[in-house]
Amino acid sequence: MTRAQQQLALLATFSITYFICFAGLLPLPEKIQDEIIPVLPFWFLVSFGAFLLFKLGYGVLTFNDVPDAYEELMGQIKQAKTDLRKKGVDVSD
Amino acid sequence: MAANNALDRLVGLAMLILASVVFLYYTVWTLLMPFVDDNHPLQTLFPPRVWAIRIPVILLLLGGAVVGSFLSVVMIRSNRKKAAKAKAAKAK
Repeated sequence: MTRAQQQLALLATFSITYFICFAGLLPLPEKIQDEIIPVLPFWFLVSFGAFLLFKLGYGVLTFNDVPDAYEELMGQIKQAKTDLRKKGVDVSD
Repeated sequence: MAANNALDRLVGLAMLILASVVFLYYTVWTLLMPFVDDNHPLQTLFPPRVWAIRIPVILLLLGGAVVGSFLSVVMIRSNRKKAAKAKAAKAK
């Protein structure tokens, strides 16, 4: 089973479970059915966004510059551009 | 030599705190408030729950509009460049 198939199967499981709960086919306490179930997708979306922002912020907080690697990388980029231009590829600057 | 700008660290920390606050507030708002009595003082901290749905939807639509406009601007610009280049090649 490929990774994509695995993720798709997981997504399908959650979607079907949620749809069953949403359509009222499962007997649930009234409070939960009317107020919590419709809000769950939005809660997941907002939490996912918050998680991504957290991950980004943490990365920015713990990021370390490496000037040597930067110089090396810029040199390699320049070299690659000149090589490609020699071979006739149109490289924008 | 590894360097981490103080301003960068501050921005990262601000993002971290904002993400945590948003997550906690929204979780309490949507998942906890239904079980809190209507006359509890905690209710004063939260707007009516319809807004818990409206705000993410509005943000989603706004975000989609921004991404779509950015994409279209980039595509139009690249097409214009391609057309200008084709014209220049023909005029030669």
